[in-house]
Amino acid sequence: MSGLLPLLYAFFVEKLPYVTVVVFSIGMALKLHRWLSAPREPTTPKLNIISSLKYIFLDVVLFRKTFERDKATWLVLFLFHGCIAGILFGHMRGFYLWSASLFYPLGHWFTDFMVHTLPIYVGWVFIITQILLLARRHRLEGNQLTSITTDYVTLVLLLATSIVGQGMRIFPPEAIPAEVYDIVFIPGFIMLHLEAVPSYHWFHIHVLMTQLLVMYAPFSKLIHTISGVISPAIYGSWRKQYDI
Amino acid sequence: MTSDRDKMGKAALSKITRYQIMELDTCSHCALCTETCPAYDISRNPLHAPGVRSAKAVKLYDKKFSLLARVLGEKKITDQDVVDLSESAYHCSLCGRCRETCPFGFQTHQLWVKVREIVNELGGNPENVIRLGKLIGENMNPYGLEPDTRLDWADYTDLEDPPKKDKADIAYFVGCTTAYKGANHEVAFSVSSILNYLGEDWTLLGEDEWCCGNPSLISGDEHTAKVFAEHNVEALESRGVKKVITSCAGCFRVIKFEYPILLGRKPSFEVVHVVEYLRDKLSEGALQARLTDASVIYHDPCELSRLGGVIEAPREALAKLASNVLEFDERGLDVRCCGGGGLLQAVDNGMRLAIVKKRLDEAKEKGADVLVSACPACKLAFVDGVREYKTGIEVLDILELAARQLGLL
Repeated sequence: MSGLLPLLYAFFVEKLPYVTVVVFSIGMALKLHRWLSAPREPTTPKLNIISSLKYIFLDVVLFRKTFERDKATWLVLFLFHGCIAGILFGHMRGFYLWSASLFYPLGHWFTDFMVHTLPIYVGWVFIITQILLLARRHRLEGNQLTSITTDYVTLVLLLATSIVGQGMRIFPPEAIPAEVYDIVFIPGFIMLHLEAVPSYHWFHIHVLMTQLLVMYAPFSKLIHTISGVISPAIYGSWRKQYDI
Repeated sequence: MTSDRDKMGKAALSKITRYQIMELDTCSHCALCTETCPAYDISRNPLHAPGVRSAKAVKLYDKKFSLLARVLGEKKITDQDVVDLSESAYHCSLCGRCRETCPFGFQTHQLWVKVREIVNELGGNPENVIRLGKLIGENMNPYGLEPDTRLDWADYTDLEDPPKKDKADIAYFVGCTTAYKGANHEVAFSVSSILNYLGEDWTLLGEDEWCCGNPSLISGDEHTAKVFAEHNVEALESRGVKKVITSCAGCFRVIKFEYPILLGRKPSFEVVHVVEYLRDKLSEGALQARLTDASVIYHDPCELSRLGGVIEAPREALAKLASNVLEFDERGLDVRCCGGGGLLQAVDNGMRLAIVKKRLDEAKEKGADVLVSACPACKLAFVDGVREYKTGIEVLDILELAARQLGLL
């Protein structure tokens, strides 16, 4: 492979991560500044850690309220978020945070299933649930909801990232330089080990998309991954205070 | 050039609190709250959906405070922005059900009140709400009736010697909707009769009782609400009152939860809704009532249950008043609003009556003879609904039922 592409791919892996970390950090700082510069609440319920954790678990992890109202939407939401958790966990293996040996006590077949087979199914479910959520948003748009730009940008960016990521798995591997097996994004900080050689182009586009997603997170609805636990915590403390 | 409206709008938007802006940023506009919103359920107007209100509010906020606004300059607040936000904010009964549906549990009641404050600052309050504000300012009640007629309900109901003491342990805070609306006069009579029956050292405030401030607060006029709170607390504390009893869910919520915020201190008295007092007296055996054979269904007032946390007390009291107590499917924290709150009557009475119809229809389906609640605004909505739709169901406040079963009414 010659021309501009190798340079571009090298940029995605070697330089862009620095930009990503800087943009993400600045974005988070700006978001925190936006929140913290607003006036404090005149009163907040007295924090009750157990009740707060209870409602974080029930409402954020299990989507209790959605389950009680709308089982179909709950199923899609639960699978969608479950897939994200699974995919993030799977990626951690590439970043040396765990290894396949975790599953060895459960046998060879199970280890192979967890490490190689299941991620492909999870990838498909993730893509399907995103399409369903986009379709739902489109169906309700203008009737029950008014999306703001970031609602769609976030979903589309996430969908594109996951499609490319899945493509990386299903398209046949290509001959790629040996150094790609161990990718150093930021020396001593972010390093990725690839066990199986992915499709070279899909891999690099996935790297680009993922970084765009990370950079966009503080400015988008993805911020709810952080702020989304605070409201249920307040809600939980409020319920305890009212003895409900 | 920055217009006055932009300046005032920016000042009003800057009052959005830390958690509130975080909530607006977190809201994914998933529309799960829309499905259970009683206002949207009737109108099907997207502007009335809570999630759309959230989107409109954050868009307005970002016109003044987003990163782009800081770098490239603020955007103007348009007439349409104000019209849309006002339409959205006031087609809401402030029942807080969206909080119970929101996957994140946003404190939506406070959020929508804040949005109304912004609408008010931008001069976007509906005409009737502005008129209501003037009436409150002139007469200390939202009904435009003379303050010295506040105790007329006692004459109409033949209550003998309504107490107006300088010192008393208990004060009965009647509330404007009970004192001035004929449909609720017997509620005041019932509470008074029960207090007399138990020989309590109690008093009314008479003319000294001003509106609790709830209508001002929920029309974005915190200043007036604070003035009224200061007056009422002074009137109660100067009488050495230890316990304030109210039969109005709105007064209860505001005096108990909003007064400490408005005044920056906790008043020296305890605040209870009369249904809690009734439950205690029935449980202690101080009151012994006959059980009615009628099928009674209980409607939770939003401000008492979801927003006030009083859910079991009325049920425990009812168990000692009626042998056949029915329940709505949507109750307690998840109660479907009757449409009587949030100044909806002043803004869109048609919507209020359409909302109440759903509740009346369900009560009839369940086979209820009597529909009982614990809030004068709910009772008024149900009475208006029964008259409008000719629903053959009796509407009572739980205190009226109690007084009747005690032989006091």
